[in-house]
Amino acid sequence: MKLIYRIALRLSLVLLPLMALWAGLFYYAIVDEINDESDDALEDYSELIITRMLAGRELPNLNSGSNNSYSIVPVDEAYARTHPNIDYYDADVYIHEKEETEPARIMTTIFRDADDMYYELRVAMPTFEREDLLRALAFWVVTLYLMLLVCVLGVTLWIFNRSMRPLYALLRWFDGYVPGRGSDGPSTDSTIPEFRQLNDAAAGAVRRSEASIEQQKQFIGNASHELQTPLAILGNRLEWILDNTSPDRRQAEEMFKMKRTLSHLVRLNKTLLLLSKIDNGQFPESSDVDLAALLREQVPTYDEIYEWRHLTVSMALPESFTVRMNDSLASTLVTNLLKNAYVHSPEGGTIEISAEGRTMTFSNDGSAPLDAERIFERFYQGDRKEGSTGLGLALVGAVCRYYGLKIDYRFEGSRHSFSISWPEA
Amino acid sequence: MKILIVEDEPSLREIMVRELEQEHYVVETASTFDEADSKIAGYTYDCILLDIMLPGGSGLKLLENLKGAGKRDSVIIISARNSIEDKVLGLELGADDYLPKPFHTAELLARIRSVLRRGRGGADTKLRFGNLTLDPDARRVEADGREIPLLKKEFDILMYFMQRPNHMVDKVALAEAVWGDHADQADNFHFVYAQIKNLRQKLAEAGSSASIRSVYGFGYRFTDDAPADEE
Repeated sequence: MKLIYRIALRLSLVLLPLMALWAGLFYYAIVDEINDESDDALEDYSELIITRMLAGRELPNLNSGSNNSYSIVPVDEAYARTHPNIDYYDADVYIHEKEETEPARIMTTIFRDADDMYYELRVAMPTFEREDLLRALAFWVVTLYLMLLVCVLGVTLWIFNRSMRPLYALLRWFDGYVPGRGSDGPSTDSTIPEFRQLNDAAAGAVRRSEASIEQQKQFIGNASHELQTPLAILGNRLEWILDNTSPDRRQAEEMFKMKRTLSHLVRLNKTLLLLSKIDNGQFPESSDVDLAALLREQVPTYDEIYEWRHLTVSMALPESFTVRMNDSLASTLVTNLLKNAYVHSPEGGTIEISAEGRTMTFSNDGSAPLDAERIFERFYQGDRKEGSTGLGLALVGAVCRYYGLKIDYRFEGSRHSFSISWPEA
Repeated sequence: MKILIVEDEPSLREIMVRELEQEHYVVETASTFDEADSKIAGYTYDCILLDIMLPGGSGLKLLENLKGAGKRDSVIIISARNSIEDKVLGLELGADDYLPKPFHTAELLARIRSVLRRGRGGADTKLRFGNLTLDPDARRVEADGREIPLLKKEFDILMYFMQRPNHMVDKVALAEAVWGDHADQADNFHFVYAQIKNLRQKLAEAGSSASIRSVYGFGYRFTDDAPADEE
């Protein structure tokens, strides 16, 4: 979930109980205030009635239009002693004029007149309907909640987007960063210390990783170069023995095997050098290369070498398939895909080379799919072949990376198929 | 023929000396930039085998000094750095050839012979062995002056052998040299046998004194000794 959505969700979730709590407190505060006011009014009213009664004056009319009502009931002394002198409570009262029952605030007062007679005065005053209030309050709380939410989220979004702009700039920069290609680091125009720090940290991390990639590249290059001389010594000494010591059959066979292993090593080393040169971008000159012509030239050679396998090769290529590449890399690309198809075809299999638009496809028979994720990694081999460096497809991958070509591997209908797409010319 | 080997690695220097002396060259060595510089300045060699990365300086600088002094010694650069730029630079500075490490002995000897032939002033780049003459430029082979018609692969194979007379040749190395990188994963060498068979037949029919001998079934030797395969 995006950060801003998470913030919005959390704000909404936190606001919900807060608004509920606020509504509850508000409700009780209002009820309390209304009761307080009502009680004051009731008290004044009671006082008026009691004063008039004790003074023997005329009591107020029951129907004074105020919906207030009262009743005076004589009580005995025991009742007076067991009940509080003044008591407030809420109850429903029947109101004659309206002919309906309404919630009311009631005050009871027990008083004694000059004749030591006890009376209980019950004064009632219609008051608000709690349910109505609750409902109204609930409606407004929900409305307010939604409005508040919209406002809060809107403001938050706006502030968030404005403040987080440097973060998104940094993220975009990270997206575009390709390890090993070098970079100037993210733009550091933010005035906010945290973002400056973040940018600096990112730039530092990238610098360190660039340095270590560079070091690794150099190491591979240097190691491969350093190996050339010992390999030359080994090879020359083996050749010297073969030419000068008249070895018997067994010895000669062993030495030939050593020589073959050695030439495997030499090939491996050369390929690693080539890979590191491609990764270092040391093939700057490009020219127009006709891959169709290149393939037509190479296929007969492979046919000759792999004749005993009885492979069928079908080429559906246009007259020319011209791409702009370094010619030696173009040859590396095509040769390795072609060799891959020949080497990994079962006896009697079929190899198909076709082109459609700017996409060239090589396919050959196979038994099980290869790991598409790892197939272009160095030394990944589906089935270990003697004499194979395990670097052929890594070379293909490196060339495609170098030119930004799209390469696809699929396994369909028991066939491995590699497609390379060039951008429209 | 006097050859100077400029190479800092003692073991490689030693084996190169041994191989060249076997071919009856007079061989001197230098292991550092300064040693090589003083030898090049003081003597004249028919051919200098020059390593580029030397203790004390670059072999390319030696080459510059040599050409700057107007000397005409032939130079073959032998370098661990097989890069086009180095090769171009070396040849521009006046080197006659560029041989990347690791190299085959026979390859080195073939390059030296080729450079020496050119150095002798003659434009004669023809290879000769027994009664055979092979002209790489015209792609023409003659036995006692009579042309032997060869197909492309047959010619390439014969040229490979003629550059390595009397040396043991591995069929795998031969396949890689003639068929190129395409053959490096071949697991069956019928395509080599077929070509060798045709080539042998053509050589025999043309009355060649040299022939391709099988060596224990996994290699060949091109020789004009008395026939009979080794085993």
